[in-house]
Amino acid sequence: MDFFAQQFFNALQLGSLYALIALGYTMVYGVLLLINFAHGDIFMVGAFLGVFGSITLDLPFVPTLILAMILTGLMGVGIERVAYKPLRQASRLSAVITALGVGLLLENGMLALTGADPRSYPDNIKNLNPPLLGDQIDILGASISAETIVIIVLALLLFGGLYFIVQRTKWGMAMRAISYDKFAVPLMGVSQDQIISMTFLLGTGLAAAGGILWGVAYPILNPYMGMRIGWKAFIAAVVGGIGDIRGAAVGGLMLGFIEIFVPAYGKDIGVSSTWRDPIAFGLLLIILVARPTGLFGVARRQKV
Amino acid sequence: MLLSVRDLRVSYGNIQAVHGVSFEVEEGEIVTLIGANGAGKSTILNTIARLHPADSGEVLYQGKNIASLEAHDVVKLGLALVPEGRRIFGNLTVYENLRLAGFQLDNSKLSERIKRVYGYFPRLEERRSQLGDTLSGGEQQMLAVGRALVTGGNLMLLDEPSMGLAPILVQQIFAILREINEAGTTILLVEQNAHMALKLANRGYVLETGNITLSGSSDELAHSEEVQKAYLGR
Repeated sequence: MDFFAQQFFNALQLGSLYALIALGYTMVYGVLLLINFAHGDIFMVGAFLGVFGSITLDLPFVPTLILAMILTGLMGVGIERVAYKPLRQASRLSAVITALGVGLLLENGMLALTGADPRSYPDNIKNLNPPLLGDQIDILGASISAETIVIIVLALLLFGGLYFIVQRTKWGMAMRAISYDKFAVPLMGVSQDQIISMTFLLGTGLAAAGGILWGVAYPILNPYMGMRIGWKAFIAAVVGGIGDIRGAAVGGLMLGFIEIFVPAYGKDIGVSSTWRDPIAFGLLLIILVARPTGLFGVARRQKV
Repeated sequence: MLLSVRDLRVSYGNIQAVHGVSFEVEEGEIVTLIGANGAGKSTILNTIARLHPADSGEVLYQGKNIASLEAHDVVKLGLALVPEGRRIFGNLTVYENLRLAGFQLDNSKLSERIKRVYGYFPRLEERRSQLGDTLSGGEQQMLAVGRALVTGGNLMLLDEPSMGLAPILVQQIFAILREINEAGTTILLVEQNAHMALKLANRGYVLETGNITLSGSSDELAHSEEVQKAYLGR
C-alpha cells in the first residue's frame, strides 16, 4: 500500500508537470491552429529563468516563480509578434517550420549563453519547506516530500485559474470564439491580435511555471531538456484532444501515470523499465487510433 | 450624412467585384441594396466594415474616412455588421455571444444593452444558456442582430438577414428591425428578398454585377418595371 501511494504521488507530480506544459500547446492550437513546436524550448527557458532568479538574483521560491512566469510570458508574446504573426496568412507548414526554428534558436541561444554544464537550483528551492507542511508528510503510509505536494497543489491552482479565465471571463470567451470562427471576432469589436497575445502570455507563462517546478522535482537542467519533455507534453495534448484544456490536463496526467506505473509494476511481470517509453507511447497510439481527435476533441466542422 | 461611399472599387485577386459604386445613407434612414447573387452586395458591406480592403474609393462614416482603420476599431465607432450566414459562435452560449459583443463595455452598460436585446427577442432570454449551435436559424438571426445591438451604435449593416428563414420569421425579424430603427439606429440592409427589403426601407439602390443601375425611394423601385421583372417576379 505504501509503495502504491508513493508511486501514485510520483505519477501525480510528473503528470501535473506534463499537463502544465501541454496546456500551452493546446491553447495556441485552439486560437491559431498552429502547433507551436518552440513551446518545449520556451518551457526550458522558463526553467533557466528560475536559475537566473534564484541564483543570480538570490530570490526565494515564490518571487522566482512569478518572475520566470512573467518574463517567459512576455517572451512568448514577443515570439508570436515577431515570428508567427507575419506568417498568419501564409501556409500552415511555413508557420510550423518557423516554430521549429524558433525552438532551435532558443535551445542553442541558451547553450551559448550558459554553457553545456547541467545546472540546478539552490537548496532553498530544491528543498521547499513550506509553512504548516514541514518537509515530509505521511499520507496513506507513504512519506511524501513537501516539494511533491507543492508541485501538485500549484499545478492544480494554475489549472483552476486558467479554466476560470477560459470559461468565465470575456477574454476566455474571446479565445473560444476565435477557435470557432475567427472571421466574426473583429465584428464584436474585439482585436484578434490582443486575444492571440493574451493566449501566448498565458500559455507560455504556464510553461515557465512547469519549468520551475520541473527543476524543483528533477533538479538537473540543461538547454536540451525542452525538446524531449516538450514532445511528450505535446503528445499528451494530442491524446487529450488538442484545442481543449481539459484534454491537456487529462492527457498530461495519463502520461505521468503510465510513465511511473509501468516501471514500478512492470518488473513484477518481467517487463524491464527500459520498456517505459515504448509502452507509454504504444498505449497513447492505441487511444489515438480509437479516437483520432483525442479524448476530449471533436472533429472540426468544415465551414464553407 | 452618416455614411457616404464614393467610387468604391473592390477585387478578389484579379477579379474586380465592385466597379466604382457610390451611395449614401442619412441618419435615421433604412436604406437597402438589392441585387442578385454575385452582384457584390456582401463585398460592399464587408469592405465598409473593413473585413476586406478596398482597391480605391472612399468610405466616409460620420464624415471621417475609415479606410485606414481595423475592423474592430470600426465597431467601436458605432458601426455594426450583422454578417451573411449570421456567424454565431456555436461553441458559446447565447449569453456568452452577447457578452463577447460587449467586450469593450463596462458592466452597467453591458447589462443595460443585453436587457434591451432580451426585450426585443424574449426567445433569446429563454435560451440564454443554450449553445449557439443548438439554436434554430431564426433564433441565430435574432442573436446576430442582438450582438450588433450590444456592440451598439448608430449604423447597423445587415447582410441577408432573411436567408434561409421561413416567411413568418422574416416578417417578425423585419418588424423588430423597424423598431430598432425607430429607436434611433440607422440601417443599411442588403437583401436578395427585394419584396421584403423594399417594404421595410425608405430608399434603395439596385446593384448589378458590381454597378449601381437604379436608385430611388422604395415605392419608386417597387413600381419600376426593371425591378418588378428582375426581382419581384411580376
